Amino acid sequence: MKFEHCIRCTICVENCPVFRVNPAFPGPKQAGPDAQRFRSQREKSVDEWVLLCSQCKRCEMSCPCGVEPAQIILRAQQKYGLEHPHTAAHLLFANNYYLSTLGSMTAPLANRIVSTKIGKRIFQSMGIATYIPFPKFSFKTMRAQKKTRSREARKVAFFYGCFINFYRPDIGRKIIRLLQSFQVDVVLPPQWCCGLPALGNGNLALAQKFAAKNVASLSNYIDAGYDVVYSCTSCGLCLLHDYQGIMDIPGAKKIAENSYDLHEYILKLIAERGGAKPEFQQVSRTLAYHIPCHLRALKIGYPAADLMKMIPGLECRILDDACCGLNGSYGFKKINETTAMQLGDRAVSLIKNTGAEAIVADCGSCRMQLAGLSGMYAFDPVEILCESLGIRDNKK
Amino acid sequence: MSVIEYDVIVIGAGVSGLTAGTLLAKHGLNVALVTTGEPTACLSTGCIDVCSVSENPLQAIVSLPQRHPYHLISIKNIRQSLRDFQQAMTDVGMPYEGSPENNRRVLSAIGTFKTTCLTPVTMQASPQNEDEKIHIITFAGLKDFYPGYIISRHKNASFSIYDAGVATTMGISANFENEAFLEAFMLWLEKQNIREDKIAFPAVLGLESASAIVKTIESRMECPVFEIPTIPPSMPGRRLFNHLKDHFRRHGGVIYWGWPVVGVEKSGRKIEAVIAESQGRPNSLNAKAFILATGSFVGGGLHANRDSIVEKVFHLPVFLPGKRETWFDHDYFSLSHGIGQAGVAVDSDFRPVDCPWDNVFACGAILAHTETLKNGCGHGFALATGQAAARSCLECIR
Repeated sequence: MKFEHCIRCTICVENCPVFRVNPAFPGPKQAGPDAQRFRSQREKSVDEWVLLCSQCKRCEMSCPCGVEPAQIILRAQQKYGLEHPHTAAHLLFANNYYLSTLGSMTAPLANRIVSTKIGKRIFQSMGIATYIPFPKFSFKTMRAQKKTRSREARKVAFFYGCFINFYRPDIGRKIIRLLQSFQVDVVLPPQWCCGLPALGNGNLALAQKFAAKNVASLSNYIDAGYDVVYSCTSCGLCLLHDYQGIMDIPGAKKIAENSYDLHEYILKLIAERGGAKPEFQQVSRTLAYHIPCHLRALKIGYPAADLMKMIPGLECRILDDACCGLNGSYGFKKINETTAMQLGDRAVSLIKNTGAEAIVADCGSCRMQLAGLSGMYAFDPVEILCESLGIRDNKK
Repeated sequence: MSVIEYDVIVIGAGVSGLTAGTLLAKHGLNVALVTTGEPTACLSTGCIDVCSVSENPLQAIVSLPQRHPYHLISIKNIRQSLRDFQQAMTDVGMPYEGSPENNRRVLSAIGTFKTTCLTPVTMQASPQNEDEKIHIITFAGLKDFYPGYIISRHKNASFSIYDAGVATTMGISANFENEAFLEAFMLWLEKQNIREDKIAFPAVLGLESASAIVKTIESRMECPVFEIPTIPPSMPGRRLFNHLKDHFRRHGGVIYWGWPVVGVEKSGRKIEAVIAESQGRPNSLNAKAFILATGSFVGGGLHANRDSIVEKVFHLPVFLPGKRETWFDHDYFSLSHGIGQAGVAVDSDFRPVDCPWDNVFACGAILAHTETLKNGCGHGFALATGQAAARSCLECIR
């Protein structure tokens, strides 16, 4: 839908987390369809406030007319990025993939530097917020994982994403074992950053570079009969939506049609074997399931919630009204620190109101933020499924 | 295609859709609600208009034209739907006051009175005539509310301005959720030396805890406090939507956001599934029955072409009162415009008339002959028809 379809009803504004706490951001209606009427390709962008949009896509999910304010703002962000010098923080986060590669290779040292006072001061001087701890680099990445192949009928190419690769390869290994328990053959195709951090930091060209490499690699696997499975909801949204949309990568449609969220895929496997549920064992936990904004935006429902419903003893309250505020690298920038913290506090207070003992969320950055601000433990839904099915990460 | 199965799919997340969904979920059915976006209820005043043409809403309903869908529901069931609603709202901490025998008045942002039946507790103290002495608090830079409009009609009204640091309805409401802000505001308010009988605010007193905030101000100031509904973004409308949504979920309902229905699978006299777009593959939502609650023109259920009006999901026949040429009226603000009657006509089971399928039910603003503006039957009508359609649906399934 075009910006002209906006009826100016302001429902998007009511749903905008940033607008709620930061008066400097005029809200998705004004920054999106309203301002679009005045933007011209031939004129330099002057609307610096487009950078305050966190791209949570809540405006798009709430619009009754199908207008996509976040897309309009995303394009304005790219144009602004092309015409203005990037800050140190923007440059660093756009190239997060390369930095993290370096970080993992030198993991013990890098982790120590990042957590020292001097390290934090250096970050702050570059405009990077340090109110929650950085995730710890893992020395042994997913990529270094030994390849296992068998002769199962179903074959999955697992797009693990940077968060699992550099910080939580243990979750990645659990996902492989979980899929294997459904008689699925899992391979790790050659892959790069999905490109979302580059896109979010105003570097469309770099994002397209990553995307083109991923599309080439994944489409070989699809041709060979593999399904692509992703577990990071933001990577997923980028693969499914942005590759075809703003990045305009040839062959992206094929990727979108053949990629599945991990939990969506497991539900599909269960349905294919006639609805026979796996033997879930009792898990006595009370959890608050924080729905990541990008899971909502994927429009696949909440498949992990459907799976967790099958686990006996598990109580899981769904919370999808609040954004955690971190939005990947958004909250790590000094200018967004207050916004991110205020939004995080609100999300945490909603979680605490449920009386849950721990948090569960699909997105690594949501978990980082919520665990950091609440002091509670934040699980990936995979960890809960594996606990119930008795699957352990035995490669520690 | 990803296949998802439920007992009933409700299309539309407005007051009628959520009410229908909740009733079905309460009866143990597996219910999912799909919606393109958030409903027009968010833009409303949050008040429950049952029928505003005379003092007693239930009597007024009896006098409506014979074709009005209200006549398909017994007065007992209409009462029941309002009672269930009031109970649900009391449970979530936003009680609604009023009785189905008496309409009441709510002061509007331009100083006129709106006639309605049930009001949120934050509007409970709204004055019932022009002579009451009120003091209006407004906020520096708030573009969406001018006390001058009210004062021009109410001689005993005065106002003062507080600087909340932000100038938008949403921003001020979010601030009121903050205890430190509320405390600073209270200290300022206590110094204002207000002598009027009641204190009025534009409806910005918080998002989730509005009723508690109003109570706090009332007890500190020792006088009644009420909110005046504003133009969108309308906080009372949003609170209503949020509470109904939570209520639906609490009974086990599932909501799918951003899923416009783009196709239908049918076999014989049954709808098998509706198809919703997703980022990758479309989703097929299978169910035994479907409830259409997509609203009227603004809500997106009906669409007016140059020569026809279409129902967007199932392409059901749409009733139109004669040719367009005959709708012309010399009164620009006439409430009797023909378009008010347009919509989907239903039989006594809330099944669309001349519908090729037996498992579709319709409720809410999409219904024909409603004339929402003329009859002042908004959310009250949505509550009653939502429950009625759900009851028929329940019978159909069992």
